Amino acid sequence: MPFLEVQHLTKDFGGLRANSDIAFTVEQGELVGLIGPNGAGKTTLFNCISGLHPVTSGQIIFDGEDITKLKAHEVARRGLARTFQVYSAAGDLTVKENIMVGCFMRTRSRSRAKARASEILKDLNIDDLSDYLVTELPVSAQKRVTMATAIGSDPKFLLLDEVAAGLNPNEIEGIMASIKHVHDDMGITVMLIEHVMELVMKISHRVIVLDYGEKIAEGDPEAISKDPRVIKAYLGERYVREHGVRSADSTE
Amino acid sequence: METIRNALDFSDFPRLDLTVAGAVSIAFVVFPLFPHSAFAMATMIQFLMFSLYGMGWNTIGGYGGQVDLGKAQYVGIGAYTTAVMLIRWDVPFWVSMPIGMCLAVGWSFIIGYPLFRLKGHYFAIATIASTLVLKDIFEVWGFVGAARGLEISPIKYNPPDFLRLIFRDDIYYFYTILGFFFLGIFYINWFRKSRLGFQLRSIKDNEDVARSLGINVHWAKVKTYAIATAFVSMVGSFHACYIKSIEPEDTMSLDISILIALMAMLGGAGSLWGPIIGAGILIPLKSYLKEWLGAQAGLVGIDLIIYAGIIMLISAFEPRGIWGIVEKIRRRTRS
Repeated sequence: MPFLEVQHLTKDFGGLRANSDIAFTVEQGELVGLIGPNGAGKTTLFNCISGLHPVTSGQIIFDGEDITKLKAHEVARRGLARTFQVYSAAGDLTVKENIMVGCFMRTRSRSRAKARASEILKDLNIDDLSDYLVTELPVSAQKRVTMATAIGSDPKFLLLDEVAAGLNPNEIEGIMASIKHVHDDMGITVMLIEHVMELVMKISHRVIVLDYGEKIAEGDPEAISKDPRVIKAYLGERYVREHGVRSADSTE
Repeated sequence: METIRNALDFSDFPRLDLTVAGAVSIAFVVFPLFPHSAFAMATMIQFLMFSLYGMGWNTIGGYGGQVDLGKAQYVGIGAYTTAVMLIRWDVPFWVSMPIGMCLAVGWSFIIGYPLFRLKGHYFAIATIASTLVLKDIFEVWGFVGAARGLEISPIKYNPPDFLRLIFRDDIYYFYTILGFFFLGIFYINWFRKSRLGFQLRSIKDNEDVARSLGINVHWAKVKTYAIATAFVSMVGSFHACYIKSIEPEDTMSLDISILIALMAMLGGAGSLWGPIIGAGILIPLKSYLKEWLGAQAGLVGIDLIIYAGIIMLISAFEPRGIWGIVEKIRRRTRS
């Protein structure tokens, strides 16, 4: 049985169909990339899975349970956590306290939440940030804090929404290592939305591609980067016609 | 044990804060020993009462960011419970106060549960409306004295009556409310770093993030609203015994609701010291303005003009109030 199963998921915003009949599965222990041009419906899909948006039709099954109709906090308590593209954490709390907010999902005790937050800070190598306010930090550090906060809730499955956006190559290396650490060492199944192709293609076991709200391709990174439908979605029909199909990672 | 330790743990404040807080506390404790006018004493008691109202408001309004303009209804519930029970059944203050708190909290669930489905301005307006409704009910309800209100006559008792909280000398009221004041500070100090406190501060900044961290946003708000209510109702009970004469127009007026919120916002919403600083500025201002100017023809209402000016200044320059300015300066000098 798959860990996460999305069946015929459709999401309409008024007359706009943001997700159309999307279906895929994720197995426990996988690291799956979700890519697609801007406006393809990736974040909407995450919002539907995590319960922030009610779906129009379709089903989401997580860990053997139908979570389609659950509210966001109920989904989170079942071990399906997520991060946000634009993270606005509690601005008047320090980094450590933000992570504690995550930890408080599993414990009522302040000292236990504090101890767990310290562990996570150390584990993700950010204990030097501990006492800063999140708003004082550069974007790259904020992205790590959002991951750390989600991990505080001790998830089994983590949805990462563009954790590498706006980072320089050095910082991307760092966040990539963190994602691998979360996946490999903490044993958390990861699905990530990412525009930074070198990151997605390097670490994903499998990549799902959305375009105009539909799933247009799925497969291992190698195959996806050569898939003509994917190249067309990113570069446009005219480009493909005039230049022929080329490998998408030729930009490297 | 851990809770008590956490309530007494002020270690995240700079030493300067703690020194000032300690000095001010000592000044409060010894204040009655020095010569003072009855007017100064009354102002001090009002200040302590409004500090407590502000601390209560600060939980939901400051840490939670839900602008609540309906706290007066809970002042009324506390005050009326204590007054009615004392006058009709001779129930002492220390019994009627917790009962009043329970009634107020119960009412806060009835009000809060539907109201927290609303957001922003709509929530603020709804809290005003619910207060007006309750006030209108009390104005026609004969059992609680209707519009004429209730009068606690001290002649019937033998002051100082510590059980019923009936005193002739204000010094007793002063120390009673000062005790509540310190307990309030310890409670808020615990609250701001408790599970609920952290969850609320996360809700204030982004409800979607809070939801995805497993927080039941609606329930957290309703719970905190109840805590704020308990504070306000407790002081309302005290108000009944101290003022000895209550009527809906006084205890449940919109003025009180707005003053409570305004003080906390002026001092610094979402900070431990904010409501106290706000009350420390506005209450003396209010008392002395009334004393000096209020009696003169044509100057009635000048305090309202000053409040309005303060509201505009806060919202234009520093939404986090005076304490926000202090913290801004500190951060600048640190970096």
